[in-house]
Amino acid sequence: MKKILIIDDVRDRAAWLKASLELADFDVVGVLEWEQVDECSIQAASADVIIVDANAPGRDTLEQISLMSTTLEKPVVVLGARNDQHSIQQAMRAGVSAYVAHTVQGEDLSGIIEVAAARFAEHKRLRDELKEAKGQLVERKLVDQAKAILMTDHGYSEPDAYKRMRSMAMSKGKRIVEIAEAIILAKELSV
Amino acid sequence: MKQAGVLLGTAGIMSMVPMGTRASAWAAGSDAPELKEVKVGFIPLTDCASVVIASVMKFDEKYGIKIIPSKEASWAAVRDKLVNGELHASHVLYGLIYGVQLGIGGQQKDMSVLMTLSNNGQAITLSNQLKDKGVTTGAALKKLVDSEKRDYTFAQTFPTGTHAMWLYYWLAANDINPLSDVKTITVPPPQMVANMRVGNMDGFCVGEPWNNRAIYDKIGFTATTTQDIWKDHPEKVLGSTAEFAQKYPNTARALIMAILDASKYIDDMANRHKVAEIIADKAYVNCPVDVIDQRFEGKYEDGLGKKWNDPNYMKFCSDGAVNFPYLSDGMWFLTQHKRWGLLKTDPDYLAVAKKINQIELYKQAASQVKVSIPKNVMRTSKLMDGTVWDGKDPKKYAASFKVKA
Repeated sequence: MKKILIIDDVRDRAAWLKASLELADFDVVGVLEWEQVDECSIQAASADVIIVDANAPGRDTLEQISLMSTTLEKPVVVLGARNDQHSIQQAMRAGVSAYVAHTVQGEDLSGIIEVAAARFAEHKRLRDELKEAKGQLVERKLVDQAKAILMTDHGYSEPDAYKRMRSMAMSKGKRIVEIAEAIILAKELSV
Repeated sequence: MKQAGVLLGTAGIMSMVPMGTRASAWAAGSDAPELKEVKVGFIPLTDCASVVIASVMKFDEKYGIKIIPSKEASWAAVRDKLVNGELHASHVLYGLIYGVQLGIGGQQKDMSVLMTLSNNGQAITLSNQLKDKGVTTGAALKKLVDSEKRDYTFAQTFPTGTHAMWLYYWLAANDINPLSDVKTITVPPPQMVANMRVGNMDGFCVGEPWNNRAIYDKIGFTATTTQDIWKDHPEKVLGSTAEFAQKYPNTARALIMAILDASKYIDDMANRHKVAEIIADKAYVNCPVDVIDQRFEGKYEDGLGKKWNDPNYMKFCSDGAVNFPYLSDGMWFLTQHKRWGLLKTDPDYLAVAKKINQIELYKQAASQVKVSIPKNVMRTSKLMDGTVWDGKDPKKYAASFKVKA
């Protein structure tokens, strides 16, 4: 059973990854944050595979450790770059294969990468959704505020105020929220 | 439009040149960039300026390309993205490109240096704790390391990179073996200062603005600038894969020309403050303008009370003296990789440098933008310990150091 070390500052992602890998029968021997990464902690984990985020600044630290250490079995770093098959293969060719240890078979590795990549992708999707939901809330507030300005300053009814903004957005090729922002800005200027 | 006129002129002259010579130049009329959009990576450091300015001030448009600057979090990511094609080119450590070519610590891939981006402007910072122990020079550091036994930790930015080589060279010149007398670790540049603040390290070598930042934050001082280790040393290059340079030579030339224009612009001291303001932005270096600006304009202080105007501040062009990809510069990194055991055997130094450094491509680009081209592909440099490097006998040079791996 391949021993895997996860290094990730995003805790919930690391936890998911750990659970998923264990479900797929991999042995997760440790979860570290980047701050804890040094030669001792990496050695102590004695992992066959190390999984890190491709975009973590701490990757250079790991480079030095794996390059300079004479006693350390060369770790494999799996990049959680993107979720499509194409970039997983690219990651394997570039970064991952850079560290491939002889003890890890190709099949094991691709299994680990698939699980890791899927988990990274799911985490990203959830975060994006949350961001989008938050964004929508902000947008709705702006539209309401602009509607209120049109109603009090120009005597529109609520449905008419909305219609006015919508037709303006359509004729200008802009989004309603952009029209709303313009109305709010114009109001601020006139005060 | 102006370009076309210049090229027609070239074609006229070219028809009088024998075929053999012509093969190395490119055919007029087919010089349109194969790729219009070029993704160029950079790490948030002062010396990424020429890449950023070529894009922000639209020097790229002049040559029919659009540079898409891409901020990267680590040199390892820069390397991976160059190798897998996510980046076409990047602001990158000179030694890193050579390390990838030779497969040090990773997959081998044929690489290219399209031009040198900068000279000088890095430094070695020591912690204020060392200062409190009376250590302000390399010689004093040597005494302390010998007399007071503990783990001394020094950081650089990438195992095969320039900062590792400057740090090792400086320690070794002070008779401290960087691999056995002290511990060397790798830390991402923006995290250097924070790590020193919490006492994780005694010293580091990194590019600006982080050395100046350490003084500004009152946690360390500059023990030496890298220009005092090697005046006008090569630092960052514009790196790509060999495949990119072969497949898209017109794009590569356009990129070199745009960055040469930007380099000239930055080297005009009247523009430096404006450039500092642009690169200080969150999207680029993300650091207060003041911290960048001082050393960027050659105004140095060392954090020990000394202030000076350094004539050897960070240079971007110097009429091409900075940018020419000298073979001797590239080979120097190989000699140091060998010295420190990153290479187990001597490579064919000259052959490797000739393969990586795209001198023809660079010359074609430089001649188009009226940047001088030196006559010799080697240059002679004298380093801090008095040794002279002229590229003539790299094997002997690599073996000549007393302190080594």
